[in-house]
Amino acid sequence: MSQLSSGICRRLNEAPQEEIDHLASGHTVQLLSIKKVAPTPSSTTATDRFRIIISDGVHFVQAMLATQLNDLVANGDINKNTVVVIDKLACNFVQDKRLIIILDLHVVSRDEEKIGSPTAPPPTQDAPAPSVVETASSSISAPATSSSTSQAKQPQPQPRTGPSGRGGRSVYPIEGLSPYQNNWTIKARVTQKSDIRTWSNQRGEGKLFNVTLMDESGEIRGTGFNAVVDELYEKFEEGKVYYISKARVNLAKKKFSNLQNDYELSLEKNTEVEECLETTSVPMMKYNFVELSSLEKLERDNTCDVIGVVKEVGPLGEITSKATNRTIPKRDLTIVDMSQFSVRLTLWGKQAEQFAADDLPVVAFKGVKVGDFGGRTLSMVSSSIMTISPDIEEAHLLRGWYDGIGTEKNFQSHTSGSSGASFGGFNRNEMRHLSDVKESQLGMSDKAEFFSTRATIMHIKSESISYPACPTQGCNKKVVDLGSGWRCEKCDKTFERPEYRYIMSMAVADWSGQAWLQGFNEAGLAVFGKTADEERNEAEYNALMAQASGVTFNFSCRAKQDTYNDQTRVRYGISRITSLDYREEAKHLVDLLKSPWAK
Amino acid sequence: MNEHISMRVNSARLSGIKGRTVRLPCKVLRLSDDIAIVEASDGGQVEIQRKNVDVTATYVEVIGSVVDASTIKAMATLPLDSEGELDMQLVNDVIELTFESRFDKLFPRYKETETSMPTH
Repeated sequence: MSQLSSGICRRLNEAPQEEIDHLASGHTVQLLSIKKVAPTPSSTTATDRFRIIISDGVHFVQAMLATQLNDLVANGDINKNTVVVIDKLACNFVQDKRLIIILDLHVVSRDEEKIGSPTAPPPTQDAPAPSVVETASSSISAPATSSSTSQAKQPQPQPRTGPSGRGGRSVYPIEGLSPYQNNWTIKARVTQKSDIRTWSNQRGEGKLFNVTLMDESGEIRGTGFNAVVDELYEKFEEGKVYYISKARVNLAKKKFSNLQNDYELSLEKNTEVEECLETTSVPMMKYNFVELSSLEKLERDNTCDVIGVVKEVGPLGEITSKATNRTIPKRDLTIVDMSQFSVRLTLWGKQAEQFAADDLPVVAFKGVKVGDFGGRTLSMVSSSIMTISPDIEEAHLLRGWYDGIGTEKNFQSHTSGSSGASFGGFNRNEMRHLSDVKESQLGMSDKAEFFSTRATIMHIKSESISYPACPTQGCNKKVVDLGSGWRCEKCDKTFERPEYRYIMSMAVADWSGQAWLQGFNEAGLAVFGKTADEERNEAEYNALMAQASGVTFNFSCRAKQDTYNDQTRVRYGISRITSLDYREEAKHLVDLLKSPWAK
Repeated sequence: MNEHISMRVNSARLSGIKGRTVRLPCKVLRLSDDIAIVEASDGGQVEIQRKNVDVTATYVEVIGSVVDASTIKAMATLPLDSEGELDMQLVNDVIELTFESRFDKLFPRYKETETSMPTH
């Protein structure tokens, strides 16, 4: 039995004029019937005209045989149930009706049985009959669907030129959706499906879910509430393509979504969702990647797409939401990319729990939110999409780069890893000198501001450089000496011995000026190289002080206003202190000299 | 006026300044009693005549006078080891930078050997 080009009849029935000419050559169809038609009265030649019915095994359409092919009928080359390949056809549009004319064909086989049970092409959106003959169809329908969506891209999507009521399969682009037209069908991939969420407020309670739908023209969000959740939630599967119609087009609530579209879809009880098997033309995912080095240019709360190698996977942790008093699992990843920057990205909820890629994968993130916690951080939001090892060019490039040279590189970090009240990444490009810090009055406003600088320790106030602290991990509160032990108020515990932690005021200076910085334990360890716990006699103490003076460090500081006994001053706290890697610093200076700035 | 100029150089820059005092940061390749063969920051090899001058580290700065484009007569050496490695590429970059014309005011320049005239 011959294979027919199923799907072609429907295409012939629906495609517009300009497309038909490109279509249909080389398609295999079966002629179900050939009938002679009375010649038109005006024709002088008594040429017979034959009306034929062509079937693709799924549907049938009427067509006319061009007169040049009449001979084939006359000498029996083609007759009922003959399978032919259409070599050329034309389509005339007469008074809203389309007339297909077969101009040339050649016979494949005769005397076959009727193939399939073709029906009239659907006027409405029935389930597309699963192609009885699959093999020929996929290659045919791919260009067919792409041509139909390209047709739909014209500014005013062509209403059906065929008989009205065929609104079913005409695929709109998502960009073209508007509340003013509701006889549309979109064919889109579900790029993201949210969990079912329940809410309850004064007005009542209910449940909802969201999907993000995407086709070549754009993206749109769809939301279903309550009863619709039960009906449609299982139907939608991430990554699959569906025909969707009869949903309501509303103005988008931008608060809940970060998609570009002005509109969004409300999925209702009568919304029709059908899985589509011809997925080749719908794009997988459109990214607009931002290099990690340029994350600083983005404002906080913006969303962006990034792709990078997951260099480090943090442990699963939990955080208690102050708003809802629920614990939410979270996990931090560190990703790096070819701009030689690294950044921390936070996963939440199920994603955090399930993240299990230990082998430095390339991961693409779409729609992650930019934060400024300690420089720059990224965070997944409900509409973010994470794809591990995506099959796209950027991913392959990254994989090759990282395997080749990336593992060796030191990355410039957007975040600092140390603990402490607040962070400040050491950013060499934004380094200031001390007179600049003072003149620009950093920290004068109520908000804390960060800066980085390189300076030399001139003097450490030696009156008090350490204090007894609570040894409990994470609690650094000063403990009180009760005589019988040391008590921490916060933890409500008493200890035999406290842990001494550094707290120091240091005068540092650079070529432009001097400033007083406050350092905590990390700073002390870096400066002295010893813990505060060790007992020291006076000679050792002095030696230590002398040794620390005159040493240069890179500081990341936080400037904040402090009120102390009616006096308001700006205090510079050290959030991070690092010794100089002269080689690195020298390299940067050389680069700076070679840069256009220095010329 | 100021004859005591000693610029840091690499092997390429030794030509044309015969008789001048230079500083050559380099890596010691071979050491024998009178001679040391070293590699300068641009990779070129230079012979160091080092009677009575100690060479104590792998990376040294040789201060001496230029005999010819590949030989220096050493007057003194400075050990330069920093944890065993010295980034010679970085050193070379700096050396080349110091000779750029935009820094003429910062670094002393050797006068032309041919037209050497006493300056006061």
